Amino acid sequence: MLAAIRPDSWNLPLFLHVLGATLLFGTTATVAIAGFAARARRDHSALLARIVLRTFLLGVIPSWILMRAGAAWIGDKEFPDKTPGWVDVGFIVSEPGAILLVIVGILAWLAARKQGVGRAAVAVPVLASIYLVALGIAWFAMSAKPS
Amino acid sequence: MIAGAFNIAALRSGRRPSEILLLFGLIRRIAVPAIGVGTLFLFVFGLWLVHEAGYGYSDGWIVTSIILLILGNAIGGYAGSRDRRTAEYAQQLVAQGDAPSAELHARVRDPISLAGSYGSGLILVALLAIMIWKPGA
Repeated sequence: MLAAIRPDSWNLPLFLHVLGATLLFGTTATVAIAGFAARARRDHSALLARIVLRTFLLGVIPSWILMRAGAAWIGDKEFPDKTPGWVDVGFIVSEPGAILLVIVGILAWLAARKQGVGRAAVAVPVLASIYLVALGIAWFAMSAKPS
Repeated sequence: MIAGAFNIAALRSGRRPSEILLLFGLIRRIAVPAIGVGTLFLFVFGLWLVHEAGYGYSDGWIVTSIILLILGNAIGGYAGSRDRRTAEYAQQLVAQGDAPSAELHARVRDPISLAGSYGSGLILVALLAIMIWKPGA
């Protein structure tokens, strides 16, 4: 019911936050899927490693920025003083999660340089999958607002 | 997103038929089932939420959202059927030596298929906007 009574001025930041989060989930899932596919299809591992890197650079990073900027904007409007626990869950996932994403990006670059073979290529989809789980937890916290 | 990323990758000129087949295969085996499950969940839990939140099923923004959801899936499904024929053609070319083909490249860039795929994605963005602004509510 909160969504039904929020002021109109909150709609744009909320839209940008949810759009960014949706794109972030989709692009991270693409990184994971292409990364696992590269392990299964050795004949196309170089192509798939390049897709992983491009999706990371052109999809994951911009959508993370959109999600995080939208979160800061709506957070300032909705909770100017103190944020509730469910918002803190989102910050816990987004900020330490950004460090994980930086690691994924470096490994994706190394994997693309090595034509999609080697340890970096193995680690990228695993780390991307871990980040997807974290996003799922944040998604639940944002939707169900447990506290 | 997943389908869009693999589709964009397939658009690049000089792709071998086996590469197109791989990318379209990932779309068919992973993205399409995910879209199906997501749409089902969106529909079922969306209608449940309408009831729980006290909105009416005949409210204009709810009806518009349902129409857009069906339209988006229909357009995406039609584009997907054209892509399936392109993948079958790519399969034939793989068996004939896997050399890049101008005809295959033209089919991958089929404007009707691309408009359907990306149009259905834009419809989902519009759907999200309606969910947030709830025009008329």
